[in-house]
Amino acid sequence: MTDPDPSFNTERHVKYYLRCLKTFLPSAYTSNDSNRMLLAYLTLSGLDVLGVLQSKTTPEERQGYIDWLYHCQVPSGGFRGFPGTDFGPEKRNKDNEIWDPANVPATFFALVNLLVLGDDLSRVKRRECLEWLPTAQRADGSFGEIVGLGGNVGGARDLRYCCCAAGIRYILRGRNATGLEGVPDINVSGLVTFIEACQTYDGGMAESPFCESHSGHTYCAISSLDFLRRTSNDTKSVPLLSAGSRQFEALIAWLASRQTAELEEPDEEEDDKEPEMPETGSIADRVRGLPSVQSLEANTTCAGFNGRCNKYADTCYSFWNGATLVMLDHYYVVDEVRNRRYLLEKTQHIVGGFGKGPGDPPGKAESAADNNNMLLTETLDLLHSYFGMVSLAFQGEAGLSPVDPTMGSSERTVRHLESLPWWQ
Amino acid sequence: MGETTYSTDPEWADVTPIELDDGSNSSVMPLASIAYPPEYLEATSYLRAVMAANEMSERALKLTEAVISMNPAHYTVWIYRAKILFALNKDLNEELDWLNDVSLKYLKNYQIWHHRQVLLSSKPHFPTIPAKETTFLMEMFAQDSKNYHVWTYRHWLVRHFKLWDSPQELQDVEYLLKADIRNNSAWNHRYMLRFGPRDTDSPDAGMVNAGDIEKMPSEKGRLTVVDEEMVDAELKFAQEAILRAPENMSPWSYAKGVLRAAGRGLEEWEGFAGKFVEGGGVKSSHAVEWLACVVAERGEKEEAVRLFGMLEEVDPIRKNYWGYRIKSVEAAA
Repeated sequence: MTDPDPSFNTERHVKYYLRCLKTFLPSAYTSNDSNRMLLAYLTLSGLDVLGVLQSKTTPEERQGYIDWLYHCQVPSGGFRGFPGTDFGPEKRNKDNEIWDPANVPATFFALVNLLVLGDDLSRVKRRECLEWLPTAQRADGSFGEIVGLGGNVGGARDLRYCCCAAGIRYILRGRNATGLEGVPDINVSGLVTFIEACQTYDGGMAESPFCESHSGHTYCAISSLDFLRRTSNDTKSVPLLSAGSRQFEALIAWLASRQTAELEEPDEEEDDKEPEMPETGSIADRVRGLPSVQSLEANTTCAGFNGRCNKYADTCYSFWNGATLVMLDHYYVVDEVRNRRYLLEKTQHIVGGFGKGPGDPPGKAESAADNNNMLLTETLDLLHSYFGMVSLAFQGEAGLSPVDPTMGSSERTVRHLESLPWWQ
Repeated sequence: MGETTYSTDPEWADVTPIELDDGSNSSVMPLASIAYPPEYLEATSYLRAVMAANEMSERALKLTEAVISMNPAHYTVWIYRAKILFALNKDLNEELDWLNDVSLKYLKNYQIWHHRQVLLSSKPHFPTIPAKETTFLMEMFAQDSKNYHVWTYRHWLVRHFKLWDSPQELQDVEYLLKADIRNNSAWNHRYMLRFGPRDTDSPDAGMVNAGDIEKMPSEKGRLTVVDEEMVDAELKFAQEAILRAPENMSPWSYAKGVLRAAGRGLEEWEGFAGKFVEGGGVKSSHAVEWLACVVAERGEKEEAVRLFGMLEEVDPIRKNYWGYRIKSVEAAA
């Protein structure tokens, strides 16, 4: 059963992504229509990380994709998540534009998509977008998804939006905010305070203060801070980013704890793990009666990552936890060999792509166990395909381009960004 | 869905639908194109038309229901629906009943829970928590006792209606922990009930007092007022859970959080943790880590290294991590 030398099947993965790019996604994706900008990101960036975006698409196709992305730009700045809210320029007016708002995550993914395609962002309404961004921030420092009725910030208080907002600011402000005189910045210290408040008693980060720690949100917290520190010196001393601080070490411990050999729900019969222990007697007596910890069996070759304490492994968490550790410069604490085997032997799919867990298909949108990451409501396997692959890229898998963990796209894309005029 | 089309329905005769403009009429090449079912394309073209006209009507309300059933993640249809509900002064309890069905159908949807929060935020409609609310949440937990959206919503509910001491909250947490002592979501909720900030005017904080800039950094995570009896009871509760399943990390983390909130040190549990490492066998890897942290703090380097070394054996997946801890101990002044 165990392949002594599992391999990453580049050719099949390329085929999988090209199918997603050039043919219609199945109608099951309709429930994710509003996330088309994200789906576009997973597809384009997937081909880019595989190093074939240029060779497998024509300049005309790439220009057509770029034009579609600009088609999703809202006249007042920022991008919509899908063309489905667009009334057309003749019908849009002051009274109905709230139903076709710029969306924070969609704007981030649209900008990344444009960069992946090599666009120079010259048609982006840069000033308008950056003027809109602070209006999506709340008094407590958190960001929402949209600016809704009466200028109220819509959407949950949620680290996902914080991370996308910090990414938009990073891309469009650049190092010195060149050419942005009079454009107000977001409240950076307010954002940092909100993020810090999301660290829970076990060291991980939650969606909002006092919620349960979760790897997807932990990634969002650290990537927000990393975006901020890349362009401003005053965020470099944040304890969460400073090795040796209590916050930092608690976070590393929590991230390391996410790696697990528990890959799926055990069979019913084995489920009853706990022997019935007497609930009386001294603590010492009761402990004496307990079995010793079973060390992992030597032939346990696969270990993926979960997203929360006491959950099973899932492909995408190899990315959320791994990328966070790369940003914190501590990736070496994980077991790379077992992670690679988990991805290649358990979730890599024969037709290309990766599933969420062992045996799950990569091309089907299905309701399944836990999936709170990003903006998805259902298991959507373009997502697992992309994040499984990027996890391997962090480990130097042959055939994959190096990936910038914070942008979630190739280092080539970040170099392209840094060549733009306002980055000079 | 499907039995009527809007284009042939007399109720919709006065509306000119706005077709989807995917840019496909020019050189534009759409990304992530979906093979939309015809009924979705039609319903959304009518939705755009009523939204563009800001129509607040029964038929628009029904239309939002149809679109939600096909795309519950649509981020403006929910806001539009909420606006219609308030504009037409609809019975929000009926809306909750409808929402319950939708929630049970789309277990992982995020907008549904935000919509519920928008409804319950209306003080005139809901001055207190609706009677069936927690019963419904327990119905959701029966489907998935760790559903993140539902827990996040319940957290909001506690803060909004000030339910920290409501017997129902603790009762439900204990019920769920009895069913699954490894339910970390339930442990987290317990922590929030016991140690979460109760000042609803200021933004709450993850670590207690984390948002209070007046506090010294070393004070972060501590309560200003500590009920020692409650703290002792919580520690006892965690110990009982550990005795049932010593490799369950949740109660160990919980105890750490409790001690920190109370301003008490880990060494208080040195004796308890030590019992899991006596006489050769290791009964809990988390106990070993606990002890290693305590002795490292005291500067007993050799013992700390020995204990982290034991973890390399017992917990080989984290061999690199325990090696990192050993290096940190050795490097400490």
